[in-house]
Amino acid sequence: MNSPDQSALFLNVIDAHKGIIFKVANSYCKDPESRKDLMQEIILQLWRSFDRYDQQYRYSTWLYRIALNVAISYYRKTITRRSLSIPLSGDLPLIEDSHAETQSEYNLHHLQQFIAGLKDLDKALMLLYLEERSYKEIAEIMGITETNVATKISRIKTILKQNFLTLIPS
Amino acid sequence: MLDTELIQLWKAYDKKLETSIALNRKNTEAITKIKVGSLLNSLRPLKIFTILIGILWVLFLDILVINLFSYGSTLFLISAGMVSLLNKIAIGLYVYQIVLIHQADIDEPVLATQAKLARLKSSTLWIARILILQLPFWTTFYWSKSMIEQGPIMLWILQIFITLSFSLIAIWFFVNIKFENKEKKWFKFIFNDQEWNNVMRSVELLHDIDDYKNG
Repeated sequence: MNSPDQSALFLNVIDAHKGIIFKVANSYCKDPESRKDLMQEIILQLWRSFDRYDQQYRYSTWLYRIALNVAISYYRKTITRRSLSIPLSGDLPLIEDSHAETQSEYNLHHLQQFIAGLKDLDKALMLLYLEERSYKEIAEIMGITETNVATKISRIKTILKQNFLTLIPS
Repeated sequence: MLDTELIQLWKAYDKKLETSIALNRKNTEAITKIKVGSLLNSLRPLKIFTILIGILWVLFLDILVINLFSYGSTLFLISAGMVSLLNKIAIGLYVYQIVLIHQADIDEPVLATQAKLARLKSSTLWIARILILQLPFWTTFYWSKSMIEQGPIMLWILQIFITLSFSLIAIWFFVNIKFENKEKKWFKFIFNDQEWNNVMRSVELLHDIDDYKNG
């Protein structure tokens, strides 16, 4: 597991998909310090599962499964901080309502808030939808049928659109 | 808002991310050097301490019962034996639950993994229900033969009242410690720490998972 080749391949996979880790952590954890812990935990669990990676799936499918599973079940625990630095650096571009300069930024802030308020499973589904994953891949990640994916996403989108309508001044 | 507008909005977020995040390869590489931790290492000290205390307590009770078996009061032996048995079941369930949670495949589809984890965590409620059943045995272990044969009537009335009350309380809790009562004041008062909040969230998640499976 600890061979240099394996480690280098892992680093490349993480580098290529770092956005996924950031977005999952950001959607499930609002507290900046806990979010750092969560990202570290996701990367650690990814590494632990790396030798079991099933090549019939894309790296993104494998990564989403682990990141979402960790985010849903692990982040609430008081994670014992390891004496390691945080592997991902950079401030998350969270847009604060009061600082949103454009309508687009305001809408993005509203979308992030809406996602943050969803139930854990709906949140996962919405994230995958916004990431433009196919229904087939979403079904593989979530473990439900494609029809079920379509139905659920449609319901969440309807609520989201109604939510955005309330933002438009009458 | 159209679907395409939503996606475009999210893509704008992507662009912001691309310019603001970077992977520190050195720190990530450090994670790949971590040896896969044993179950024992992954447990919080408090959990290990709880299990150890539980095992020591059960051992103490068993040694007591074995040593007093030939000449101890029958009610003491039955009471201590039942308390030990109920604690053994609870410790066994607790350890089994921790082992299964540790072994859960985190790379399986989200619903399957979460259902497994949530079901295990929610079984903690069963541990509480089993432990509460020992309550009446704490009111019977000191009954002796002389107390039964020669005890004054008032002592008997008081003793029966206490044992009956504790039995009813134990049965009531055994029946009522369930997710459906999570909003009740007494439930919140007793189960009001992070550990129990996680258990409650797990049961809620199980309901959501059922909802997802049913479409």
